[in-house]
Amino acid sequence: MKYFLLSFKAVFIKDVITELRARQVLPTMIVLGVLIVWILRTAAEAVSGGALIVGPVSLWLGVLFAGLLAQERSFAAEQEQNCICGLLLAPVDEGTIYLSKLLVNIVMLCIFELILVPVVIAAFRLNVSGRWLALVGFLLLGNVAISSVGTLFSAIVQLTRTRGSLLSVLVLVILMPMMIPATFALLAIFNSIGDELAGTGALAYVGSIRAAAGYLVVFDAVFVVVCWLLFSFAIKE
Amino acid sequence: MRKLLLIVTFILTLASIWIALTLGAVEGPTANPESPVRNIVYIHVPGSICALFCFVVLLTGSVGYLVTSRPKWDILAAASAEAGTIFAAISNVTGSVFSRAEWNIWWTPSPRLISAAILLLLYIVYLILRSSLAASPRRKARICAVFGIVAFIDVPMVIISARFIPDIHRPDFSFSSSWQSAAFVLSVAAMMLLGAVMISFKADILRIKNRLDEQSFS
Amino acid sequence: MNDIAIHIDSVSKAFGARPVLKDISFTVCNRQSVLLCGVNGAGKSTLINIISGLLQPDRGSVGLLGCNIDKYPQRAKCQLGVILHKPMVYPELTVTENLSFFANLYGVNKSRDRINELLEEVGIWPYRYDRAGILSHGLLQRLAIARALVHRPGILLADEPFAGLDIEACEHLISILNNFVDNSGAVFMTSHNTHIGLRCCSRAMVLNKAKLIFDADVDDIDADCFSKDFVSYAGGAG
Repeated sequence: MKYFLLSFKAVFIKDVITELRARQVLPTMIVLGVLIVWILRTAAEAVSGGALIVGPVSLWLGVLFAGLLAQERSFAAEQEQNCICGLLLAPVDEGTIYLSKLLVNIVMLCIFELILVPVVIAAFRLNVSGRWLALVGFLLLGNVAISSVGTLFSAIVQLTRTRGSLLSVLVLVILMPMMIPATFALLAIFNSIGDELAGTGALAYVGSIRAAAGYLVVFDAVFVVVCWLLFSFAIKE
Repeated sequence: MRKLLLIVTFILTLASIWIALTLGAVEGPTANPESPVRNIVYIHVPGSICALFCFVVLLTGSVGYLVTSRPKWDILAAASAEAGTIFAAISNVTGSVFSRAEWNIWWTPSPRLISAAILLLLYIVYLILRSSLAASPRRKARICAVFGIVAFIDVPMVIISARFIPDIHRPDFSFSSSWQSAAFVLSVAAMMLLGAVMISFKADILRIKNRLDEQSFS
Repeated sequence: MNDIAIHIDSVSKAFGARPVLKDISFTVCNRQSVLLCGVNGAGKSTLINIISGLLQPDRGSVGLLGCNIDKYPQRAKCQLGVILHKPMVYPELTVTENLSFFANLYGVNKSRDRINELLEEVGIWPYRYDRAGILSHGLLQRLAIARALVHRPGILLADEPFAGLDIEACEHLISILNNFVDNSGAVFMTSHNTHIGLRCCSRAMVLNKAKLIFDADVDDIDADCFSKDFVSYAGGAG
């Protein structure tokens, strides 16, 4: 256990220092996120009341695509100097490597959201109205889900010719189901649906925020555990 | 043995197509009970069942490979993925045709349609991954198995999450005669057999291809 | 307590239908340094990768200081320092940070002292605060050696450690390797530069067409003839 924490911390700190020095990923993520928001903001002008719907959706879109950038980087950097062999030669459990890379990706997404969420709220004039806690909770659940699959597949795509573009397809197709309740929850939090309509099937959604949260918790738990177990198969020669 | 299976499948498939084309329309909760398009259920439902069945085979092959590292499991997974893609496509296309004829829309976000569409996408992405991996055969097989397992777990996740969207039209059919129920069972059996035959032929092709690849090495 | 450092028992490996290693068996003892020679594609790197556990052999087993690497991978890995073609260090981290990262992975006690000691030993003390990314090839190779030795392994595997080093750096590496062997370590390395290789090793092997065709003490070898064409030398001697 002590050894697990030691190696977990070592890999985590190494990745954080690398990112702080290279400043490769976070700026790109933020610019991409802002661009996505901006494009959708323009599109939302077309419909009256469109901003209320497109706003929360653009937040998830930004997080999804920015997350892909972070994940792609997390093993591309290891591959560069063959460092991945160095990790495999050390007596570290592969699962530990996965968990600490997962944490790095989650932290990156959190930092990214610290910037993107105010941008989205300002751009679409959204109203959180005291549901900050729920918003933070759902974003965290979303971050875990996005990173869990992405971290596993990032290791996989290093062996392919197309890397990043393949990663986006692999990750997005697995995340498709989770996006339905996640989008629903954000729409409810930003009052796009309205309390009297939530749960009645208006705007083509049924269910409650509570159910969406439950689904996301299950999704996170299942995929983190499965990806953690499968990671050693994906990374070993 | 294989020949016999092939003949049986051929006859059954022909029979089920004949049933689908000629037999009286099944009854359902929609406006146009006389429409012949409703007979598509004899293709559509067996197709969907087979697409799911192939995913179970894909999972079996993937887990089998990770446990034993024997190439035959990997071949099974690859073959069932290709067959599954075809069945998922059949299920989506026939569903879409039916939906257009009955409700005048090609596609709408509803639980079953979403699940079927994602199923097809999962198969396609699996095949893309398979063709783009540049690694030793062993490692390639292992990575495909990893994705196969993750993709399989995604299927129940899709089915649950799609329930957050209202089911506007639930196509539950009822058969007016026992003759029609029998015909339906026959068409499911025919499609399943067809799937099994397709998987086994594809597996043979892959096995031969692997052997050729190995020989071109030395 | 155990004198056998590396124990290879009938290891075979094939890529597809092409055999790369056929039924290789040998043992290397402590305080022994072995040079593995072979033409390109003879399977040297594959053998190194198998001993280090990065590749799985199709058949056969590998034991390191009495540990089977399949059964006790963690224990075997702790006994092993490896130098591969690429240095396996992070360009964004400084020399010291790289070493302390790997020291943490191996769970080294008092890693600070060990790292300083190593920096002195391999001669990169003046560069300790430089990022690995700006070091020259020779310095990177020294860092790679320090990285491989940071956890005080009992066995050192080296794939072409002399590649791209100048004469002075080669001499330095030879003295480090000799030092390592004197402290009861075992070295197993491949090299194209047989002259230098023979100088620092006590035993030489030749791998040809997936088979081990020659194995002798360096003292019994005519170094000049061996260096000129080791395959035919091995064929004549064997």
